[in-house]
Amino acid sequence: MNTKQTSIRFCGFGGQGIILSSVILGEAAVTKEGIYAAQSQSYGSEARGGQCQSEVVLSKNPIGTPTNEQNDILVAMFQAAYMSHKHELKKGGVLFVDSGLVPDLGDVDPSVTVWKVPATETAIRLGSKMAGNMVMLGFIQEKTGLVSRDSLLAAIRESVKEKYVEMNTAAFEEGIRMAKEDTGA
Amino acid sequence: MSAPELYTNGNPLLKYMRQDKLPHFFCPGCGCGQVVSAFLRAVEALGLDLGSMVGIGGVGCTARIPVYINMDCLHGVHGRTLAWATGIKLHKPDTKVVVFAGDGDALSIGGNHFIHAARRNLDVTFVVVNNFNFAMTGGQVAPMTPDGSVTMTTPYGSSEPPFDMCKLAVTAGATYVARTLTSNPAQMTTFLKNALNHKGFSVVEILSQCPTHFGRYALGSGSPKGLVEWIKSHTVPASAAEKMSPEETAGKYLVGEFVNVEKPVFRGSTVYTPSTCGCGGKEAK
Amino acid sequence: MGLEDRVLTGVHFMQGNYAAVEGAIAAGCDFFAGYPITPANEVSEGMARRLPAVGGVFFQGEDELCSIYAISAASLAGAKAMTATASAGYDYMQEGIEYAVAVEAPIVVVDVMRCRGENFATQSDIMQVRWAAAGDHEMIVLAPSTVQETFDFTVRAFNLAEEYRTPVVVVSEMSLALMRERLEIPAASAIPVVNRKRTAKSPADYLPFHADSEYGVPDFAELGTGYRVIHSINPHDERGDIEWEPHAFDRLYKRITGKVRENRTKISTVQRFGLDDADIALVAFGSEVRPALDAMEMAREKGIRAGVMKLDAPWPFPEEAIRDLASNVGAVVTVEMNMGKYAGEVERAVCGKCRTARATKNLGTPHTPDEILSVIEEVRA
Repeated sequence: MNTKQTSIRFCGFGGQGIILSSVILGEAAVTKEGIYAAQSQSYGSEARGGQCQSEVVLSKNPIGTPTNEQNDILVAMFQAAYMSHKHELKKGGVLFVDSGLVPDLGDVDPSVTVWKVPATETAIRLGSKMAGNMVMLGFIQEKTGLVSRDSLLAAIRESVKEKYVEMNTAAFEEGIRMAKEDTGA
Repeated sequence: MSAPELYTNGNPLLKYMRQDKLPHFFCPGCGCGQVVSAFLRAVEALGLDLGSMVGIGGVGCTARIPVYINMDCLHGVHGRTLAWATGIKLHKPDTKVVVFAGDGDALSIGGNHFIHAARRNLDVTFVVVNNFNFAMTGGQVAPMTPDGSVTMTTPYGSSEPPFDMCKLAVTAGATYVARTLTSNPAQMTTFLKNALNHKGFSVVEILSQCPTHFGRYALGSGSPKGLVEWIKSHTVPASAAEKMSPEETAGKYLVGEFVNVEKPVFRGSTVYTPSTCGCGGKEAK
Repeated sequence: MGLEDRVLTGVHFMQGNYAAVEGAIAAGCDFFAGYPITPANEVSEGMARRLPAVGGVFFQGEDELCSIYAISAASLAGAKAMTATASAGYDYMQEGIEYAVAVEAPIVVVDVMRCRGENFATQSDIMQVRWAAAGDHEMIVLAPSTVQETFDFTVRAFNLAEEYRTPVVVVSEMSLALMRERLEIPAASAIPVVNRKRTAKSPADYLPFHADSEYGVPDFAELGTGYRVIHSINPHDERGDIEWEPHAFDRLYKRITGKVRENRTKISTVQRFGLDDADIALVAFGSEVRPALDAMEMAREKGIRAGVMKLDAPWPFPEEAIRDLASNVGAVVTVEMNMGKYAGEVERAVCGKCRTARATKNLGTPHTPDEILSVIEEVRA
């Protein structure tokens, strides 16, 4: 209904930084780029390990209903979460999956653009599997340009503990590099 | 002689009372009047300014005590006296706060607040008038009713052991704990003075007579004198009890000061240490 | 800008619960007591971090009862005090609300409404926050629909509490309380702050529960400053003396209900969207306003003249606004996240002047615009 806004749903399991990714995206949009964002979340009763999902709506105008049944972008970091949320991606939408943790995409509508990103695998190579979300965020930034690289970097610096800033920004930059190389061929 | 004349007839403590509230509503022979008297003697001896103090009463006969004393007063909610006291002390730590509670108010509905106030060492004086039953509501069993007592809700005798609230207070962390009885006004005044002077959670349990209910139902007599004698005969000075056998002290209330120590008093969270807070003014991530 | 700043002026991406914290502190809150309960914990946690930094006191009570009485007593001692809880916790706090009403203690209570025992969004408390308390009382209840409004309305809640010397509740839903969005905190100088009127009289001349008019608000005297006031929940006269004379009781309750009820058009502001030409009006508050506005636009695209009346303050009930609405539209639809509670009150005020319908659900999330649109279409048919 509202073509001026973009909705992104992140899903995975607790501890992957699913909610943090969405908060950083919203933080970058609102405090660095001056646009509107609304982020809502839900998680299982377990603090760690259960499925979790978070939705961010980005808009140049104030946001009405902050949640959507159908999203423009779906980011899936875990197979079970992907299965739970794959039907929430719009026709013509964009799907980002952690290729190592979402091995089976099943039937995907041909209108959907799919990006398979070895995010967690890359993060492990860089030294911390916790940074898979940042690899993914970098990849998404490069492919969508929803918010700028600099805005996201600034938001990352403000949102993670000081001792993790270096690891997270390195993972983010690696995601951008991978996206530049990945032409979808 | 009119009632006001009768009540202003030379009692030196009347100046501390809301005289327009008299006559009070306590039954003839009730111990609450003796508690008021002892408390005001303590106030006078310490030279306290009632105008800067807050008296708190919940619901019950004892809870009416602060209503008759000429100071700021919070009154009328059952069991929440120490919750009120906490709010006042954390916002205005220099305000002296004294709570008057019956055994039901203090230990039944208010029991949870009591142990937490003791644990925190809230700087408040907690005067508990233990008349062994819920009196205002007509004489029902209470947490300090002696085991086996007949009350309006235990017509065949209660089957619940009572609290020893002084032991409870000590265990929970109160820093001044004493027990006394209405028939020993000098000791009552001394303990109340000590409690009011104490920095920290000070608890004074006063064994008191309720001839109207506890006397009539549990002891079979509404005689105030008989009940006062019964209380006296069931008490032993704590110092004497040390030299007595368990058999000799069984069923007796120890009277005296059980603890009197200094510990830091509760202030709530007021200390801000920037170094431990890495959130830069925002929510935690 | 650091934690030591009372007003965090600037643009933030902030969660609803934290916006309540910042609103409270900007309004001058210096005392908070609360008991852990999901999904209101962020309010306590935010207060625990922020209050000591601005010279206030945070305190975690042993239960909700302790918390609500501690804030009422702190308020009588001069504090601007708040607590936060969620539905089941509000149950426990009811008796403390009754006390604050009776002794006219200004306090603010944030109630994040949740489904019973489960952490899903709902508006099931909308009657509880109005009616729950023994004795006669009117409640002021504000219902923000955005994170920005959560900040703004919390400031306003303190101001109303101070002006009318009465508890004010800010209700939100989990959907709003845990949502992050854009919040712009204005400069401190642009935030209106109201402080209760303190008495200029001497203790000898002071009547603690006397107001200058029938529905007025008494001047305040702080505990421990020599005024020797009885603050009793029992019926009391102008002096605060416990009074069993029925006329004194009646006078007291006439005033403490009247001071809110008679000012309802000032307190219970509404915002009108598309109502100038509307045939069908949606009435909504809190999180439900947002899908209602979207549904209005969708209906208009289909040629249905829909409008929205957004209630900033569901209580005191905006009687005149609803009556006026009913005279100008063909149908009023109450949108709420429960099985139909507030709708009864709306329909009472509509009083047959137009048709009524309800969009109700209790599925843990606000309505979708499509769900509301389908009710609009049914009403139109």
